[in-house]
Amino acid sequence: MESYVKVVKVEKVGPLDTLRGLWVTLSNFFRTIFLRNRVTIQYPEEERDYSERFRGVHILTKHEDGTPKCTACFLCATICPADCIHIEAGEHPNNRVEKIPTRFDIDMLRCVFCGYCVDACPEEAIIMSKEYDLATDTREESIFTMEMLLNRADKLGFDNGYRPHFGPLGGGGTRGKMEEAGITGTTRKK
Amino acid sequence: MKTYMVKITIDGKELEVPEGTVIIQAALENDIHIPHYCYHPDLSIDGNCRMCLVEVEGMPKLPIACATPVADGMVVHTKNENVTKAQESVMEFLLINHPIDCPICDQAGECGLQDYYMNHGLHNSRIGLREKVLKRKVIDLGEMIVLDTERCILCSRCIRFFDEVTHTGELQFYKRGDRTEIGTYKDQPIDNSYSGNVVDICPVGALTSKDFRFKQRVWFLKGTKSVCPTCSTGCNIRIDHTKGVVFRLVPRRNPEVNKSWMCDKGRMAYPLINGENRLKYPMIRNGENLEPSPWEEALDRVVKELKKIKEESGPEAIAGIASPQGTNEDLFLFKKWIREGIGTSLMDFRVNDEDKKVREMEDSILRRKDENPNTRGALALDLVPKNGGLDTKGILTAVKEGKIKGLYLQRPIDHFPDKTLLKEALEKAEFVVMHATHNGEGMRAAHVVLPSCTYAEKDGTFTNYEDRVQQIHRAFPPIGESRPDWEIFRDLLVHFGVSLSFPTAQDVFLQLSKEERAFQGMTLKGIGDLGRRISS
Repeated sequence: MESYVKVVKVEKVGPLDTLRGLWVTLSNFFRTIFLRNRVTIQYPEEERDYSERFRGVHILTKHEDGTPKCTACFLCATICPADCIHIEAGEHPNNRVEKIPTRFDIDMLRCVFCGYCVDACPEEAIIMSKEYDLATDTREESIFTMEMLLNRADKLGFDNGYRPHFGPLGGGGTRGKMEEAGITGTTRKK
Repeated sequence: MKTYMVKITIDGKELEVPEGTVIIQAALENDIHIPHYCYHPDLSIDGNCRMCLVEVEGMPKLPIACATPVADGMVVHTKNENVTKAQESVMEFLLINHPIDCPICDQAGECGLQDYYMNHGLHNSRIGLREKVLKRKVIDLGEMIVLDTERCILCSRCIRFFDEVTHTGELQFYKRGDRTEIGTYKDQPIDNSYSGNVVDICPVGALTSKDFRFKQRVWFLKGTKSVCPTCSTGCNIRIDHTKGVVFRLVPRRNPEVNKSWMCDKGRMAYPLINGENRLKYPMIRNGENLEPSPWEEALDRVVKELKKIKEESGPEAIAGIASPQGTNEDLFLFKKWIREGIGTSLMDFRVNDEDKKVREMEDSILRRKDENPNTRGALALDLVPKNGGLDTKGILTAVKEGKIKGLYLQRPIDHFPDKTLLKEALEKAEFVVMHATHNGEGMRAAHVVLPSCTYAEKDGTFTNYEDRVQQIHRAFPPIGESRPDWEIFRDLLVHFGVSLSFPTAQDVFLQLSKEERAFQGMTLKGIGDLGRRISS
C-alpha cells in the first residue's frame, strides 16, 4: 500500500530544547508577576476599551426635541443581509418631515453587526455603540424596539462606535456635512 | 378608410408603421425606448416635458418624438450625442426645483426622475439646496390621493386623465413660471370612482396613493399578472405582494379591455385577499356549531352523505349551484363532478340574473353591473339547465318541497333575491356542502364547508363580458389549508371512482380545450398576457 505521508525531516529533541521552551514560559510568568504586564483582563470587573470603529448594538440618533432622526426610508432594512430590521412608517405632523417610523425593531439574534445599515443611512439616524454583551434569557428580549434603541446607549453609558460619516474617521456624505463644505446638490461624478 | 403604411428608420432599424402614428409610439411598439414623461399611450399628446427629443435627419433642430408624426423615408436617431446632450439638459431643468425627497417618497424605486437621472443625467446640480423654490406638500385630495406640488414636474398627465377619460376635470395648473403647481380649486377633495389611476400615471412622486402610502417600499414587492374579479369587464391587473400579503393592485395595460385604467372599487378590493376572516380549514357541522377538521375527514363526510342520498333517492335528489366567481377550470371540473361524479344534470350558476347583467354598463368607462368575472365563461361551459330544466329558483323550490335532498354550492348564495325561499330551502335540505373563501353568514346552513382560495392564490382563466379568455396567475400559496376549487372537485371525483389526472390547472385547461366546443383550439400560450376571444 502506498504511504500517504512523506517524512521530510525528523528533528531530534535534545535536553537543550526543553530548557529553551521552559524559558519562554518562565519569562512570561515573571513578566506578569513582577512587571504587571498582563495580556488578560479580569472580565466582567474590568472591560476592554474598544476601537472608535467598534460595531456594537445600534443607536438611533435623536433630534434636539427627542424625536428620532430616522425618516423610515427603509434603506437599512433593504441592505440588511440578515433581514433583521423591521420598520413601520407613519405620518409626521410636520409636512416638511412627512414620514417617521412608528416601529423600528432590530432582532439582535439575527443581526450580524456588519454595519451596512449605518453605511446606508442618508441621515445618520442609525449608528453603532460599543455595547457588546447581549445575552438575554428569552428570544423575545433580544428584539430591541425603537424606544430601547433611542435611549439605551445614553442610559447605560456606552460610547458611540461605528459612525463612518462623522468624527476623525468620517468622510462626509450627509446632507448637513455637504452644505458645510460648500457642496451643493449631488456630488456624483460621471 | 384605408391606412397607408410608411417606412421609417429608427436607430438603424427599418420599421413599417401606419401613417399618422407619432415617432415615440412607433419606437415604443418596437422595443426602442425613448425617455418620456408627459406622453401616455392612452391620453392626448401634450408635448410639454421635452424629454423625448430625437434627431430626425433633415430637420434643423431636435423635434419631440411624441408630437412628430412619421413620414415616409424618415430617419430617426434616438441615442446619438446630440440627443443625449439635449436630454441631459432637459433633466437638469426638470430637477432644478425638485426636492431631495427620495428617502421618504413613495415613488422611489419606480420613479421616472430617478430612472432617467441614472441613464441621462448624472450631472452636478447648479442650484443650491437653499435656492430651490419651496411649494406646498402633503395636500389631502380625498379618499385616494395625496398631492405633493413640490415633486411635480408639470407633465399634466393627471389633468388630461380627468379631462379626457373621466370628463370631470378636477385638476388644473395654478400660478405661473417656476411657481406653477397643480391642484384642485381650494384643495377640494377629488371624488370620482377612477381617481386612483392618476397615482399610477404620475411619473414622479407628486400624486401618491393614500392607501398605499408608507406601507411598503416598492422594491420589496413582486408583481403577478392577474385579472380583476370584481366585475365582468375583466380589467387586467398586477397584484403587488410580498411574503404572502397583497399591498396594492395596479392596472396592467390592455388596449382591448381596460387600456391603462381600473376603477377604484376594483383597486380597493385587495384587503379581501389578506382578510382576517378568511376561511382556513374545512368545517364540519357538529350540532349547532361548525368545527374545524382535517381535509380527509371533510371529504369522506361529503362522499359518504352524497353517496347515501344517491343510493336512497337516486342522483336526481342532488343538485349543484356553480359560481361565476370561479375560473373556467373550476367550472369545468364542477360540471364534470355533478355530471360524472354524482350523475345528475341538475345545475345552474345564475343566482341573481348574472347572465342578463353581464354586458350592462354601470358607468360610461369600465364598470359593469355583473359583479362576477366569469359569467360568460359559465355560459360558454353550458352550466345552465337545458330546455325546461330547473334553474336556481326551481332547484331551491324543489329542495323546499323535499324532492331534492343534497345541495352542492360552489359559493354561499346569500345574494339570492328571494330570502324566505332560500332560508326555507336551506333549512329543509338534508345535506348542504359549500365552498367558501371567507367566514360569513352564508355558511350557517351548511353541513360541510370546504375552504376555497381566492383568485390571487390560483392559476386559471376568466372569460370576460366580450368572451375574452384571460389568464390569472398564482401570486403566493393558498392561505391556511384552503385550496383552489378545481382541486377540490378533482379529489371528489377521484373519491367517487372517476379516474383522471390533473396535477395542475394548466392540465385542466388542456382537457377543457379538447372537450368544450367554445374553447376548442385555445392554448394558454395563445391566450398570453392580453387574452383571446372565443370565436363564435
